Amino acid sequence: MATNGIINIRNVSFYRGDRVIFENLNCAIAAGKITAIMGPSGTGKTTLLRLIGGQLQPHKGQVLLFDQDIARLNRKQLNHLRARMGVLFQSGALFTDLSVFENVAFPLREHMNLSADELYNRVLLKLEAVGLRGARDLMPSQLSGGMARRVALARAVAMEPEIILYDEPFAGQDPIAMAVLQRLIKGLNSQMQLTSVLVSHDIAEACAIADQVILLGEGRVLAQDSPAALQASADPAVKQFIHGEADGVIPFHFPALPLQEELRGQSK
Amino acid sequence: MINLIADLGAGLLTRLVQIGQALLMLLQAIFVQPKASSLPRLMQQLFVVGVQSLIIMLVSALFIGMVLGLQGYTLLSAYGSEQAVGQMVALTLVRELSPVVAALLFAGRAGSALTAEIGLMKATEQLASLEMFGIDPLHRIVAPRFWAGMISLPLLVAIFSLVGIYGGHLVAVDWLGVYSGSYWGNMQQAVDFNEDVLNGMIKALVFAFLISWIALYQGYSCVPTSQGISAATTRTVVYSSLAILGFDFILTALMFGGAV
Ligand SMILES: Nc1ncnc2c1ncn2[C@@H]1O[C@H](COP(=O)(O)OP(=O)(O)OP(=O)(O)O)[C@@H](O)[C@H]1O
Ligand SMILES: [Mg+2]
Repeated sequence: MATNGIINIRNVSFYRGDRVIFENLNCAIAAGKITAIMGPSGTGKTTLLRLIGGQLQPHKGQVLLFDQDIARLNRKQLNHLRARMGVLFQSGALFTDLSVFENVAFPLREHMNLSADELYNRVLLKLEAVGLRGARDLMPSQLSGGMARRVALARAVAMEPEIILYDEPFAGQDPIAMAVLQRLIKGLNSQMQLTSVLVSHDIAEACAIADQVILLGEGRVLAQDSPAALQASADPAVKQFIHGEADGVIPFHFPALPLQEELRGQSK
Repeated sequence: MINLIADLGAGLLTRLVQIGQALLMLLQAIFVQPKASSLPRLMQQLFVVGVQSLIIMLVSALFIGMVLGLQGYTLLSAYGSEQAVGQMVALTLVRELSPVVAALLFAGRAGSALTAEIGLMKATEQLASLEMFGIDPLHRIVAPRFWAGMISLPLLVAIFSLVGIYGGHLVAVDWLGVYSGSYWGNMQQAVDFNEDVLNGMIKALVFAFLISWIALYQGYSCVPTSQGISAATTRTVVYSSLAILGFDFILTALMFGGAV
């Protein structure tokens, strides 16, 4: 199954204490495409991104990035690979002691030798793309949740990396910002041949721009296909997730007695 | 019974593992060759850790010096030797009270803030995102804070002693009428640089090491939730205080115990 993607997950198992998060996970993420990773809350989407970024090590199996097993790299090589990768964290993870401008400038200052003017222009262009050029002097504590996430997005793409991992970029965005972000992600992908990995719960938004969807559940890949094929899928679990039904093979409710028996004063 | 022993053993083992981890964190953080760019970060931390602790130190030192002046005067005047109050104030401060009290205040003021700050950085994925930018948070975040603690506390202790001695002067000389010349003169004769001042500074360095280490490790290894951070902050203050008092006894025994 897992063939030559730019990111290959091979037979990966990962545990949290006794809990199995992944068991023998296999998937490949194709270069230059947008891959959406979906699945119920708590299935391990963020965990998967951390495995790809080398922040967590799999207990079994391999994570291959640019055809290199990241578990075998030393610190320097790993940092070198990471410089080719941008990450949008689920919480944004802006540096609270730096202004919006400095946050976006941070990776550029660390890794590139740009002149002051080049740096300034580049940061402004990135902020312009997410509609926050005017907020450049604000501190992260002065931003709303959605704004912070857009600044984090600008920071993740500032280095113009080859791979970008987005953890829920659409969460907390209004319809206008959502559409802008969709266009932005799509645009980055097509202009620069970037590989984008997108974790999202917004099925419609993610499917609209994704080339490929990986549906995670129960520690494995439930389905990996194009959005259109998934929407037409007859698989009950896939259908339930895509159409958002509470009753089905994926339990929405925590195990409990039937509701009628638990409500008071309702007997007979 | 066997269970009890097993539990004790397991508890001891996790403690040992923790101490090992803490040691490893410290070694990784401090054994890096400094770069030119790390200087501004150190200066900033010196400001946060050191300068911002100054007010509380000054006020406490003044009051402690005044209390020492008062107590010393009443005690010594019973034997008609109130001229020795300067010597008593200075020795008490330089040998014991300045390092210990300043360190306890430092743990409460700066140590707890360090733990909370780093814990929050962890909870908000700032440490993780530094890592993804190819920057080791141990070098960038932990190291400057550690060195700032090591530099600040000894300086604060020195200031503490000076202000305390002045506080004693205020009460004993300006208020109770001890002759100023004997306040200073007795002090100069009694306080030995190596024996007293240097030993006090060694204490300050040891305490600075303990507090910075405990505070940074607690923050770095905390459970990244609100309860986790608050528990870690509490642990910083409790562990630091106990470590300060325990090590103070050991150091005092080593430094001054030989004369007995
Ligand atoms: N540090 C941790 N220690 C223990 N368990 C953890 C830790 N982090 C995550 N988990 C567990 O691992 C599972 C997967 O977490 P993860 O954050 O990857 O989920 P997710 O798919 O991103 O969910 P969401 O869509 O809600 O963000 C969760 O059930 C969580 O309980
Ligand atoms: Mg997640």
